[in-house]
Formats: sequence, C-alpha cells, structure tokens
Amino acid sequence: MTPDTELPRRSFLQTLALASAGLVGSAALSRSGRLLGLMRPGGPDDPEIPNEEVARIYRERFGGRPITRAHVQLDMPAVAEDGRVVPVIIESDLPMTAEHYVKGIHLIVDHNPDAHLAGFYLTPAVGQVSISTRIKMKRSTWVRAILETNTGELWADYAKVLVTLNGCG
Amino acid sequence: MMPGIGDARIRLPDRIAKGDIITVNSIVSHPMDTGFFRTREGDPIPAYFVNEVVITYGGDEVARFEWTSGISRDPVVSFTLRADREAPLAMTWKDNKGGVYSQSADIAFTTA
Repeated sequence: MTPDTELPRRSFLQTLALASAGLVGSAALSRSGRLLGLMRPGGPDDPEIPNEEVARIYRERFGGRPITRAHVQLDMPAVAEDGRVVPVIIESDLPMTAEHYVKGIHLIVDHNPDAHLAGFYLTPAVGQVSISTRIKMKRSTWVRAILETNTGELWADYAKVLVTLNGCG
Repeated sequence: MMPGIGDARIRLPDRIAKGDIITVNSIVSHPMDTGFFRTREGDPIPAYFVNEVVITYGGDEVARFEWTSGISRDPVVSFTLRADREAPLAMTWKDNKGGVYSQSADIAFTTA
C-alpha cells in the first residue's frame, strides 16, 4: 500500500472511532463538542456557532446550506434599555431585479422563546432591501438577519444586543 | 381618542415621481400579547398577536410578512416600494384569533 492511500484509510478509521464514541455516549460527545467550541476563536459567543434552537431553524429553513456574512447590514442598538421595544433596521446591497432578488429575510433572536421572530418575504417590486421594525428581546443575545435569494444563496449579518429589561415576560 | 385594535395608518412621502423607490411607513394598533404574562390577579393572558401581513400594489402581492408575538406592541414596519404606476397600496394585518385589519393609501405622482 502506498502512503497516498494510507492517509484516507487512517482518516476513515478515525471517523469510525468517533462514530462509535457517539454511539457509546452522545451526551459525552456533545459535552466535548462544547469544550471544543470554547477553544475556538470567539468561543461560544461567536455568532457563527448557532445554539441548538438556531441550528434547528437553520436545518428546517435552509437545509444546512452555507451562510456567508456579507451584503447585509443589521442595525440595532448595542444596549437596549427596554427589551419590549428594540429597533431593528435590515438593509442590503443585493439587487432586486426580476432575475436576481432577495425572496426572504429571516430575523432570528437566539435566546427568545420564539427564536425565529419574523420572516419578511419580498418580490422585486419593492426595489431594494430596506426593512425596519421594533422587536421584543428576553435577554442579551445575538440577533441574526439572514437573507435568502431567489437562487438559494444565503447572506447574513449579526448584532449582539445587551438587554437590561426583559421584554418577553 | 384611544385607537382600537386593528386601527392602522400608512404614511407615504409627500412627493412621489414615477420610478422612485419610496419608503412606506405603517403602524397598526394591536396588543401583541406573547402568552407568557399574567394579570395582576394571576390569570394568564393568552397569546394574541398579528401573525401575517400582506402588502399589495394595484392588486399584485409585493410582500408578505410572517410574524410572531416577538414584534413589539402596536407594530410599526417600514419597507420600500418601486412606485412605477399610480395605484393603491394596500396592507392587511391578520392575527391569531382571526382578526383581519386593512388600510390602503393611493400612490399618485406629483405633477412638476
């Protein structure tokens, strides 16, 4: 066997070992996964690492397609004194033409009871992506604006908002 | 006078020229109860909120919003529209108890 084929074989064995570890104890695996998360730059506060609920929303809505942080501007206050009324502005430089347009904006608040807070579904008739509204926030967390184009690309921006008064009860 | 549930307003720019991308501002009166709060007497306040907004321009649907009770009380929302013809812009808000509330504003071009 040449060294060239030896490498993939070794990685296959490693995968197998990981998979059986998962069978033995998925709880232990997810704990170590969380520890790994802590060691990454940014740690668990890195918005690119979704929590369980956000990961579920990603699977259901986007089928695990990659999301790139670009082309979207999510404007929110860094500190929201009243979580009952937090302003949100979502803008994008993506085109709104018959051929290429943003068909949906998904507003996700990681630690809210309903994490998928709103969906804004658009057509080229709106001319540009510019939506503003006011939302409730339970506590300090990341807010995500994820844009889906008619061709299935996903673009996003994230904002960390500190909430001093719980707005969800 | 206090506005009642479902009272809505749409604001358009004062001057609109054909082809402008205009900003549309809207507000509807609604409690947007989450279902997580209780009254002072301890009775739960059931969830009561606008869950869908449909926007048409000259009868064609141009946008549709899917909301939860995470939108603040008396929801405001602003969006844009390419004003390419004179036609009514209509908004309909629907809530989780079957309430349907509508408002419209006429897009008309300013004569120079």
